[in-house]
Amino acid sequence: MAKNIEKFDSIVIGAGHAGCEAALALARTNNKTLLLTISLDAIAFLACNPSIGGTAKGQLVAEVDALGGEMGIIADKTALQIRMLNRGKGPAVQSLRVQSDKNAYHSEMKKVLENEPNLFVRQGEVASVTMDKDKKFVTTTLGLTYQAKSIVFATGVYLKSDVIIGQSREHIGPNGFKNSSKLSESLENLGIKLLRFKTGTPVRLHARSVDFSKMELQKGEEDILSFSNMTEGKVENKAVCHLTYTTPKTHEIIRKNLDKAPAISGEIKGIGPRYCPSIETKVVRFADRERHQLFLEPEALDTQELYLQGFSTSMPADLQKDMVHSVIGLEKAEIMRDAYAIEYDCIEPTQLKPTLELKSISGLFFAGQINGTSGYEEAAAQGIIAGINASLFNKNKPQLILKRSDAYIGVLIDDIVTKGTNEPYRMMTSRAEYRLWLRQDNADVRLTEIGRKVGLVSDERYKKYQEKCKKIEKIVEKLHQKVKIDEKLQKLFEENGENLPKENQTFLSLMRRTNIDIFKLNDVYHLFDETDKRLLETVNTKIKYEGYLKQQQEDIDKMLANENVLIPENFDYMSVKGLREEAKEKLSQIKPISIGQASRISGVSPADISVLSILVKRAKNQKK
Amino acid sequence: MEKCIASIATPLGKGAISIIRMSGKDCLKIALKIFHAKNLENVEPRHMYFGQLELSANAVEQCLMVFFKAPFSYTGEDVVEFQIHGGVLIAQKVLERCLAAGAILAEPGEFSKRAFINGKITLDKAEAIASEINAETEGELFSSLQVTNGLLADKILKAQDELKLLLAQLEVGMDYPDETEEVRLKEDVFEKLQAIKHDICEILDNSHAAKYLRNGINVALIGRTNVGKSSIMNALLGQERAIVTDIQGTTRDSLVESFSHNGIKINLYDTAGIRETKDKVEQIGITKSKQSLQQADVVLFVLDGSQKLHKDDEQIAKLIGEKPFICVVNKMDKQRVLEKQKNEIEVSALIRKNIKALKDKIVDLVITKEIDFNKLVLSNERQGQILNEAVALLEKAIVEKNQTLDITSMLIKNVWNCLGKITGNTENEDIIDLIFSKFCLGK
Repeated sequence: MAKNIEKFDSIVIGAGHAGCEAALALARTNNKTLLLTISLDAIAFLACNPSIGGTAKGQLVAEVDALGGEMGIIADKTALQIRMLNRGKGPAVQSLRVQSDKNAYHSEMKKVLENEPNLFVRQGEVASVTMDKDKKFVTTTLGLTYQAKSIVFATGVYLKSDVIIGQSREHIGPNGFKNSSKLSESLENLGIKLLRFKTGTPVRLHARSVDFSKMELQKGEEDILSFSNMTEGKVENKAVCHLTYTTPKTHEIIRKNLDKAPAISGEIKGIGPRYCPSIETKVVRFADRERHQLFLEPEALDTQELYLQGFSTSMPADLQKDMVHSVIGLEKAEIMRDAYAIEYDCIEPTQLKPTLELKSISGLFFAGQINGTSGYEEAAAQGIIAGINASLFNKNKPQLILKRSDAYIGVLIDDIVTKGTNEPYRMMTSRAEYRLWLRQDNADVRLTEIGRKVGLVSDERYKKYQEKCKKIEKIVEKLHQKVKIDEKLQKLFEENGENLPKENQTFLSLMRRTNIDIFKLNDVYHLFDETDKRLLETVNTKIKYEGYLKQQQEDIDKMLANENVLIPENFDYMSVKGLREEAKEKLSQIKPISIGQASRISGVSPADISVLSILVKRAKNQKK
Repeated sequence: MEKCIASIATPLGKGAISIIRMSGKDCLKIALKIFHAKNLENVEPRHMYFGQLELSANAVEQCLMVFFKAPFSYTGEDVVEFQIHGGVLIAQKVLERCLAAGAILAEPGEFSKRAFINGKITLDKAEAIASEINAETEGELFSSLQVTNGLLADKILKAQDELKLLLAQLEVGMDYPDETEEVRLKEDVFEKLQAIKHDICEILDNSHAAKYLRNGINVALIGRTNVGKSSIMNALLGQERAIVTDIQGTTRDSLVESFSHNGIKINLYDTAGIRETKDKVEQIGITKSKQSLQQADVVLFVLDGSQKLHKDDEQIAKLIGEKPFICVVNKMDKQRVLEKQKNEIEVSALIRKNIKALKDKIVDLVITKEIDFNKLVLSNERQGQILNEAVALLEKAIVEKNQTLDITSMLIKNVWNCLGKITGNTENEDIIDLIFSKFCLGK
């Protein structure tokens, strides 16, 4: 048998958004990598909404990009419409979102994978994973076996998945793709605990049957640049979306037929996300709402299919039709694909280290929806980290852990491996305590050096980053110029309700006034007409929010003090008398790497942490 | 070395001396900001220094300072100890000065914790300390507060819940910009913040009152000779003259005469000293006045109503500084010659006129609001300190209302976290749960 076994440095199972980033990160850092997928046609498939980014998710995309990932580049390339969300609510919460061409997204990513020298993309369903000391073996359902030093599991929602529409339950994956029926058992044989989660997707409609005149037009914003630092110029708007609403009739149909709703009747046992409820759940839980908003989004340029956002359901197909027809403007809508709910296996993520490596077996990494998360961006974010760490593992180098103060990626991973999750985990800006620092516009400042160090940031990207830093310095330099108090300035200040300064001041100090910013100054003085607007935004935030950023940095320093107190891997919690029983159990289970991580475990009290930290610090001092 | 912490090392209550201890980085530097003595250029470890500790612009405490150099100290770090006169108030004041000079208030058991970390305590002793720490941390304190004073605990929880709701409202608008149709938020938010601040201030006011209930109100009488200080004192003490005690919260040597008014004890300060001046040559008695002022919650500035304002009066008036004071215009039985004074009350010690009114005024001055003695009493100094911090954070959030929503939310979150130090509720997940239960979201 040994002769037939092909050897790789790493094998990535699954070619969704996590698998693609993981495979690219591995291949680009000189690992011979095999990427196995159930279907080559499912590579980087946008199985649900045709969009990338959004609140907090936009930050994730920028971070993946800053580390040297692919998602941002392809999202820019395949964008149909672009918007900056939360403009006016402050720099901390501004996020980009694009509507994506889902066909183009898939084929562009496939192209990138195919052109990567160290990467071997192959169709095949994995049936089992076995171990022989340090060697790992992957065997497909067709009996082919591959060997590697490390494996990244990125199976998405395919593990033993069931698609449910009304009474119908099929053992298939999303969108009619084959599911992965055997791998779950293999994982359980390795001692891995599985959970069962659920998610869903709405109907797709034919554009010719929709009455857009009854809906509100949603255009993209002009003059917005891009997710990726690698993208030259700005993203063009090529398509529009529409906003419409459910009616009392929609709600009536749903209420009358609740017994047929699998999610409510108990047919679906998997735990669904609260932030992505089906329309029937919304109608039941928020009974006083007279209407719910729905968005119609184009799926791709080369198709008439429209995605009906807000209308996720698992009602029987005939009822779906009645429900759709009760919506304003959809009276005659043709359904092309039915909405469905999907149940799937994922792992209990607290079995992972903050590196995304399994605690119990070294060399096995997990990323994406298999970890109980939701969303393309969350998947890509974990994918790139799992890929980086598998690569470092192959080379016997120290692992990469992003902290909560480094990136949304750090928050995401820390949350799931420390607290676990009882529903598909979605990133939100409110989960990030240092979000004024974790902005989209400074993702590269935070992460590109790290990406460079692990070898994922290309020379070209690094050069662009360095140029950007220099440009920012230049802008700040220019802002140090003094401004004469003249009529121009007087007019600007008057218009903005600010008192004129008594002496000549620098642009920088003028910018600290509440109602003055870099853009208003530029309108008058034209210092930066040629400069990239993104850079001006960054400088503007840096100066206008300096005080708050400083305060946030103090909070970060406080947090890091605990984060940097590392707990030895084999620390024996059970023998510590001062800890409460519940804390002993939780700590033994999670095995936190630091006092900081320990303090975020639910069921561990501040008192437990004081006890633990004195014991750990004492142990360290004694070693000295 | 870790940051410098400070706390009162001796048990609060009666005792001839109190010790304030600081440990950690820069503790000597911090000490020397507030303590003055001879030969402090090169402080020698384990030597006693006698000197003066500044309490305020015009008050000092004579005391001793010792410096222990790391690792030869209780905690194994640099340590400074002040040995001061016994009593709760004076100890608290010295501690406050240490904190103002840069030390941070020690957590429960923190000195022992550091001692253990630095190998100063043995393992068996450490386990005893561990459980002690367990019993002393905030969560435990809060549950004991819930038992002893459920109403107060509820008030703090309520404030935190209201903040949580505000946060959920703000956050949902930022995490789901497409889906929040009805956002008319900002004004509501700041109105609510004002109301929460009001509630917390009320708790604090009552807790200040509680301190006076325990220790009494310290009153200093000052004034030049012959204005009638001692007769006013006798009038105030009246029949209750017999209560002469060495009570806590006063300096070791001085006798204090106390009386009770409407159930609240009033301590007349340094009375002996003032009475002596009658027979002495000392014209103004500035030194004595200074000493009694140190301890005072309220200053009674005694003036002679039958005379014009004297040069000496003006000098003494300057000593009052920021303290709450009452101008006691004595000799109302005679013709009034004195100009109208700020915050004055006319009395006559001789014919005992308006003496009760003066007592009322003293109490009113420190206990501004009517308090329900059984209701809101902060059981723990630390909780009071956290509430003070929360008020400051609330003020910051309110003042900076013109900032963008992300900042407003951050500032409110700071307040919520601050109160969490009392209640133990600091799980961010609670806010997210509230978002999903209150608002209909999602695709």
